[in-house]
Amino acid sequence: MSAGIYVHVPFCLTRCGYCDFNAYAGLDHLRPRYVRALLAEASLAAAAWDGEEVVSVFLGGGTPTTLDAADLKAVLVHLRERFAVTHDAEVTIEANPDTVDAPKLTALLESGFERLSMGAQSFDTAVLASLERVHGPDAVRRAMAAAREAGHANVSLDLIYGAQGESLASWERTLREAIALAPEHVSAYALTVEPSTPLGRQIALGARPAPDPDLQADMFGLACQLLGEAGYGHYEVSNWARPGFECRHNLGYWERRPYLGLGAGAHSYRDDRRWWNVRPPEDYLRQVEAGRVPIGGEERLEPSDAYLEEVFLRLRILEGIPSSWVEPQTAAPFLESGLLRRADDALVPTERGMLLLNELVLALAG
Amino acid sequence: MTETSRIRNFCIIAHIDHGKSTLADRLLELTHAVADRDMREQYLDKMDLERERGITIKAQAVRLTHQAGGQTYELNLIDTPGHVDFTYEVSRSLAACEGAVLLVDAAQGIEAQTLANFHLARDAGLVILPVLNKIDLPAADVEGTAAELAELVGCERDDVLAVSGKTGEGVTALLETVIAKVPPPEGSRSDPLRALIFDSSFDTYRGVIAYVRVKDGVLRTRAKLHAAAARMDWEAEEAGVFAPEAVPVAELGPGEVGYLVTGLKDVHQVKVGDTITSQGRDRAHEPLPGYREPKPMVWSGLFPAEGGDYGALRDALDRLKLNDAALVFEPETSGALGFGFRCGFLGLLHMDIVKERLEREFGLELIATAPNVEFHVVRGDETIVVHNPSEMPHAGTYDRVEEPMVLATIITPSDFLGAVLELCQGRRGEMVDMKYLSTTRVEVHYHLPLAEIIFDFFDQLKSKTRGYASLDYESWGYEASELVRVDVLLHGEPVDAFSSVVHRDKAASYGRAMVERLRELIPRQLFDVAIQASIGSRIVARETVKAKRKDVLAKCYGGDITRKRKLLEQQKKGKARLRRVGRVDVPQEAFIAALRVDQGERR
Repeated sequence: MSAGIYVHVPFCLTRCGYCDFNAYAGLDHLRPRYVRALLAEASLAAAAWDGEEVVSVFLGGGTPTTLDAADLKAVLVHLRERFAVTHDAEVTIEANPDTVDAPKLTALLESGFERLSMGAQSFDTAVLASLERVHGPDAVRRAMAAAREAGHANVSLDLIYGAQGESLASWERTLREAIALAPEHVSAYALTVEPSTPLGRQIALGARPAPDPDLQADMFGLACQLLGEAGYGHYEVSNWARPGFECRHNLGYWERRPYLGLGAGAHSYRDDRRWWNVRPPEDYLRQVEAGRVPIGGEERLEPSDAYLEEVFLRLRILEGIPSSWVEPQTAAPFLESGLLRRADDALVPTERGMLLLNELVLALAG
Repeated sequence: MTETSRIRNFCIIAHIDHGKSTLADRLLELTHAVADRDMREQYLDKMDLERERGITIKAQAVRLTHQAGGQTYELNLIDTPGHVDFTYEVSRSLAACEGAVLLVDAAQGIEAQTLANFHLARDAGLVILPVLNKIDLPAADVEGTAAELAELVGCERDDVLAVSGKTGEGVTALLETVIAKVPPPEGSRSDPLRALIFDSSFDTYRGVIAYVRVKDGVLRTRAKLHAAAARMDWEAEEAGVFAPEAVPVAELGPGEVGYLVTGLKDVHQVKVGDTITSQGRDRAHEPLPGYREPKPMVWSGLFPAEGGDYGALRDALDRLKLNDAALVFEPETSGALGFGFRCGFLGLLHMDIVKERLEREFGLELIATAPNVEFHVVRGDETIVVHNPSEMPHAGTYDRVEEPMVLATIITPSDFLGAVLELCQGRRGEMVDMKYLSTTRVEVHYHLPLAEIIFDFFDQLKSKTRGYASLDYESWGYEASELVRVDVLLHGEPVDAFSSVVHRDKAASYGRAMVERLRELIPRQLFDVAIQASIGSRIVARETVKAKRKDVLAKCYGGDITRKRKLLEQQKKGKARLRRVGRVDVPQEAFIAALRVDQGERR
């Protein structure tokens, strides 16, 4: 079944206060070892994935573009050697506007990274500052222009809404700026406060306000409206794309297709088993350098877990669930109150329903 | 058996924290009742709960022996509960004594509880020995407090003893004074047996233990006995005394105090205040005076927090009732809280103790409705007794409602008099009288509805007087009052657990406060939830919990899926703890918080 490969690069220029990913600033000295380890891990894993067709590769982080273009290319070449990566596979790399310039963007494209996912987050200086992003709005515009100039024809912009200091009006400006740059794909995420982050701790201490969920709901509505008007199709709760530019790799997660994760803390999934690598980069390096699979843990999905995930993910990608999975009287109140709609023989969340997806999932799968 | 001339039965009356238990410890030591190595603080307060709260729930009787003037005396120290909830129990303990030590902290002076129990003791005809305690404290005002005490008791200043329970100073003199001034008991061996049950407890192995004071005749182990009020015949399996551990004796003669192992399994068959006599022709014709049935004053619904524990709660209440004759309960079904029990308590302290024991000893998690008093609804010749606000009929369907009143005694430093009067006026109080105990301390009497006292009255009193005022009260019958039932509706559905009966003048503000409180406690749902307070069909307050609009995880990729699924599972578990009221999901915590009456330490 068409699989995906995810490669995790845990290095960042700085750590942002809201981020709880497995990412580190100040570990740059590990980069050469890390690249070697990625290659070694891919070799270790390859046998088990023999014959599995790989339709997408995704380099995420962290900030993958903190690695040299040559290293990135080496990784991709190695993957193509060891795995059955199809020829038209979607190959994405996440890019931080501050870590790319025209030569690097050209090199990436030439190496085969034909899809670029750019962490713009906002076009409002105050919001970027509140998110502790080091780049300014101009950096995004410049990086976008450079990408186009280099010939990148599949670019996604990531946006975050609902940070402290952001109003509906400033969010509208950000959306309009993003649309003006004409990316093929837009991801727009409501700022989520993770307790373990500096932001989470500040909010718990009352030093900063928590995001206002009602304002975030309005912001979501505005995103649906403006992106829709600009011709972007809403295909997952937080993702929009021009027709044909939906992210194949991410759809793999949501369609519960198999994926192999390489790198520190990366998760893999196949045949209702999910496993993950050790998180700290140093631990990861030691394991791989000792010739061991750097596995940190695993879980086997019980049928009930698998069902809950299936329902939850199908509702997220607006494919919806077959009506026959749910008792009519369970779905009825949500159909009546306009959180669900019927599309052919499926129950699909409406725009309001998407915002209350947890409630829907618990009611329909609980 | 000891000659009555060498028996002295006495108790110690003291306000909480005035040092009664410490003085009792010194008496035990001085009379060698407890070996040094077995001595521990607050020896007589056996239960854990008592030790922690520093109060005495169950009366205890200890036999001490003391030599004086070449004679050996038997001194029975009868410990009495000090709290207003247990006035009847106090009165029965007093009835077992001939004398009372009125113990007052020399640094604190007379408090309301001291006063209340002093009056009870005096009314019971006891000889009162005024004693100052804690004279070792730097803050002790020995002269001032002695004068207050002499004035209260109506004795000379020189008659006031001074002791320190902590150092033992003056305790020997106190024992000698007890022997000299407390009269020996009267009563004849040849009269038919009459013994007063002044307390009881339950022992898992031996059944109900009765604490008794023999008034007339002789109580022998194995005697065939009859309890007058309970109309029960049983046999004394064992008679004994507490010295202070239980020691069996062949008989208890007139004037003696001890225990009886009854072999009975139900404490209700051994009623506090009942008279024990012999069976058959030796039976006494007249029981001892003063018996009455325990009367609950405060009611509250107790519900298991987790739905399935109803059976466990019933079993636990049944078990507690075995040694708590004052606890009454009946099944109650609440639309909001499910199956539970409406329980009657002697007062707030009693209620707290029962709740705490249910939670601690039986591991139950409970939701308790706000406490309420018993209302009498009068319709023509008929009087309906209402224990549950949600069962209160609506205005217009009856002639009047009566509520229980109390006569409250408050002693306060005069600096805070204004604040105290304001508090009492605000609680629908009517002043009865007021008198200065000294230039700086005032005693005030108020008629107050009991319902006003069982909310945060005591806390308010303490906070308005920086902890200096003390309160005691006694029942003062029922009076007609303008009471109305305030209901709380969630999304149009009345929630029985939130109904309350309040005075008409306060109903609207009560309703508003409740509605505002709930607005903070009820989580947003998928639809707007109206929270309303109503009096009959009239809505007096309204708030809305706006519909929840956003509850979705923003991101969900690769590895996150496991985590997100676990978050959903957690959310699902949280939902299982919600109680559904109509269409509205209300978390357990909201019920607990909304129904909580912030009383702090109630004593």
